[in-house]
Amino acid sequence: MYRYDEFDAAFVEGRTAQFADQVKRRLSGELSEDQFRPLRLMNGLYLQLHAYMLRVAVPYGTLNSRQMRKLAHIARTYDRGYGHFTTRQNIQYNWPRLKDIPVILGELASVEMHAIQTSGNCIRNVTTDQFAGAALDEIIDPRPVGEIIRQWSSLHPEFSYLPRKFKIAITGSPNDRAAIRFHDIGLQAAANAAGDVGWEVWVGGGLGRTPMIGKLINSFVPNEHLLAYLESIMRVYNRYGRRDNKYKARIKILVHEEGLETIKGQVEAEFAEVRGGVLTLPSEELDRISAYFEPPAFPSQSATRIDVARELILDPAYGRWLEHNLNSHRQPGYASVTISLKPVGGAPGDATDAQMDVVADLAERYSFDELRVTHEQNLVLPHVAIADLREVYDALVASGLAEGNAGLITDMICCPGLDFCALANARSIPIAQAISHKFAAPERQAEIGDLKIKISGCINACGHHHVGHIGILGVEKKGGELYQITLGGDATQDASVGKILGPGFEADKVPGAIETLVDTYIARRQSADETFIAAYRRLGEAPFKEALYGNG
Amino acid sequence: MLHSERKPDKLRSLGILALNGMFDEMDAVGVLRQAAAEILPGDVAIVSSFGADSAVLLHLVAQVDPSLPVYFLETGKHFAETLAYVETLKSQLGLINVIAIHPDPADVKRFDPNGDLWETDPDSCCHIRKTEPLEPITEQFGGWVTGRKRFQTKERGVLPHFELTSDDRIKINPLAYFTDADVNQYKIDHGLPEHPLFARGYKSIGCAPCTSVVAEGEDPRAGRWRGLNKKECGIHFDFNGAIASPMSAAKFTLHKDGAFIADPFHAWEDGDDAASARYKHIPLPVFLESRDAVLANPHPMGLLVSPGDAIESVEADLGRFASIAIKFPAFSDGRGYSTARLLAERYHYANEIRAVGDVLQDQIPLMRRCGINALVVTHEPTRQALVENRLPEVALFYQPVGVTEVPVGTRPYLRRAH
Ligand code: SF4
Ligand code: SF4
Repeated sequence: MYRYDEFDAAFVEGRTAQFADQVKRRLSGELSEDQFRPLRLMNGLYLQLHAYMLRVAVPYGTLNSRQMRKLAHIARTYDRGYGHFTTRQNIQYNWPRLKDIPVILGELASVEMHAIQTSGNCIRNVTTDQFAGAALDEIIDPRPVGEIIRQWSSLHPEFSYLPRKFKIAITGSPNDRAAIRFHDIGLQAAANAAGDVGWEVWVGGGLGRTPMIGKLINSFVPNEHLLAYLESIMRVYNRYGRRDNKYKARIKILVHEEGLETIKGQVEAEFAEVRGGVLTLPSEELDRISAYFEPPAFPSQSATRIDVARELILDPAYGRWLEHNLNSHRQPGYASVTISLKPVGGAPGDATDAQMDVVADLAERYSFDELRVTHEQNLVLPHVAIADLREVYDALVASGLAEGNAGLITDMICCPGLDFCALANARSIPIAQAISHKFAAPERQAEIGDLKIKISGCINACGHHHVGHIGILGVEKKGGELYQITLGGDATQDASVGKILGPGFEADKVPGAIETLVDTYIARRQSADETFIAAYRRLGEAPFKEALYGNG
Repeated sequence: MLHSERKPDKLRSLGILALNGMFDEMDAVGVLRQAAAEILPGDVAIVSSFGADSAVLLHLVAQVDPSLPVYFLETGKHFAETLAYVETLKSQLGLINVIAIHPDPADVKRFDPNGDLWETDPDSCCHIRKTEPLEPITEQFGGWVTGRKRFQTKERGVLPHFELTSDDRIKINPLAYFTDADVNQYKIDHGLPEHPLFARGYKSIGCAPCTSVVAEGEDPRAGRWRGLNKKECGIHFDFNGAIASPMSAAKFTLHKDGAFIADPFHAWEDGDDAASARYKHIPLPVFLESRDAVLANPHPMGLLVSPGDAIESVEADLGRFASIAIKFPAFSDGRGYSTARLLAERYHYANEIRAVGDVLQDQIPLMRRCGINALVVTHEPTRQALVENRLPEVALFYQPVGVTEVPVGTRPYLRRAH
């Protein structure tokens, strides 16, 4: 993975010192909260319902064991013994004290980490496929380009005060696991006629109160010109994006209101000016960065298959874990392992300091010192030998991390909601917990198969409810909390936005409603191979609506 | 000689700013005549070094009034060529009131018995040889003519034709807008004799021990006190005849080249006439409506660009403007950064680009990187931070941005010449 050179290290150090001074001035009262606010936001420090929250960037979701141990150490020393992995592949600490922030940032800097641009109206941390560099279906590892985008966008002087925050996602696989069509810019690896790999550029996707699927603005931008092309989009957005209404300020609204063709014309005109200029990326530089992401030297393995059916009989829990939590690796004899942070009844995405330490040990021992954070709030050991799977599994069991539910109904995405978030209308974690209790039985989960439930505590949609096969949105009605249910969302290459079925439900009715939907699906599916989303697409909403609300 | 006690009331009442707008940039004679005949009759004098480019100012004096008192600081350290040049100019220009002032012999004897004080302590040397002798003279006049020019050294920044000093005197800078080329042209046009040392590479000539040859392309004043960290002579005094420091910088809001300085520009007001306005930043939409009038207007003008204004619509006319003001209505509105980069990088606009509006310390480093080279700042903590030169800045950066910046600091792959 990428290693800081002296320049990167000095850059982060400079930023840390700068912010330490600002915190000091805040604590001494020299800075008011008003003056401090934009400064802390630029450093990932939010003021939450109860306390400050610190968001730490995990660029393109890649970590090594040293970094993970540092995250554990911070959770243990400066927080309440846990951290929360987010849908942005970042980690959040919910209880740090302001006076400790400079020390925490110093600790992070010592392992090449920071909190720069994890908030504010700037280009945020670049996200990607959690299996990047490992997946069998990948065209190219997107992380070298992700790293270059990280560098280019870090404290960019022209784009630090955009109309609104800006998120870029990148994937090297045709099977989109990074939800690139729901980002301000999505990049998808593509080959041109000559066989060169470049990038499809999608623009104007997003969730929030106005969900939009990104639109293809350019079907092939070569690596060489990618930064110039991105800078062109950014400049058009910075100049023309709406600033009169923060809810209409994302680039998706600009693209929607002006039309793709207009925006494309402006971007192309800008691109014609900057193309071939200082932002041209020499192939040697891409090669240099790519070298950091070279796959490890995989020793060849004698065991290249594992008999899941057999394991399911011998040890059903292990069998289920094998069945659901592995992803095909491009190297024979290896697999990528998803470590579920969705234990039944737990808060999705939370990990204790002890769990983080265990995961770091496993990465060091079994995964060439590499770890990933997924946008579905799980962790991944990207390169595990098939022969080591049992050992890894046993270690996970001992730490309560062996839930074999990746991709299943209890593998929910859920935002912090009213328990932590100042903007929330409703609680979301308790809803997730209640649903997972309802579907706790592993056999039942296996019977249901792939099903993504996503829950947000308000219209800001941090829980991505619009793209849940089943989405749940907390709303405030008549002083109480109600939950709206949407169906049919999908964040992958078959992107779609879920539709609201009908009136919302009280909190205690939600698990039952979900069960009704699931039962309807099972009753109507053509076979166990037809997934929930496929069945919904075939059947439409009618049978589900009828099941929930009757046909009155 | 008239030893006037009166303060320059007339100038005060006229308002120094208004006065500054009255003359075309290059109308040096007009400036001097106005000062000597109208504003401060009998109350204006000049100190000349009789250096390499003193001839232009002295020629102006001779045209306006050859009897204006011209003081020459005979420090006792001049080149023989300089002393000869004094005589040449006196006779050729017909100056009839050149007065040499000498240091107090007692001071010289006491502080500089060996004549090497310039080497060990040039500040003290200047003090006894220039500041002290000049002091009783400066008290006698309400207005002083200087030969200072904007371009000369960075510290000078924007220099208006008229300045009010902290001790209530007027400094008159007729050559404020002259460039090196203008000076040379003027010399040629009027057949002025060169200082004998000029041809030998001396561009800014002071006392012999403290002057060295200036290399091609170097700041002309770089040859003065070379190797010593000293650019101006004495606190209240400048070799070309500046006296008394300008009005307290606390009153200035324009920050440029490292200091708060007087701003020759004023805000555009409703009712201003595009054909006759001077030193105003005309809003871009107003300019588009009255383009012909502005282009025919002979006076220095600026342009005000607000967020949402299309800078590309005035691309062809950018050269018309001495200054472009980019408006930041709120620090969180980042459109001005794009405007600045387009101006500096795409249109190669090389004059002043100033930020106006909500200009705060945390954004200034970004503004500068995008090509903004002047700031109008009223926010007190930000002013303080600028004065103390402690902006919250990360000195390293990744991106190649701006025109002066393909730099140490960007990434290696971006660290290439344009
Ligand atoms: S969706 Fe709403 S409640 Fe949930 S984290 Fe985002 S802002 Fe907070
Ligand atoms: S210029 Fe040099 S020699 Fe002349 S007075 Fe100043 S220090 Fe002394």
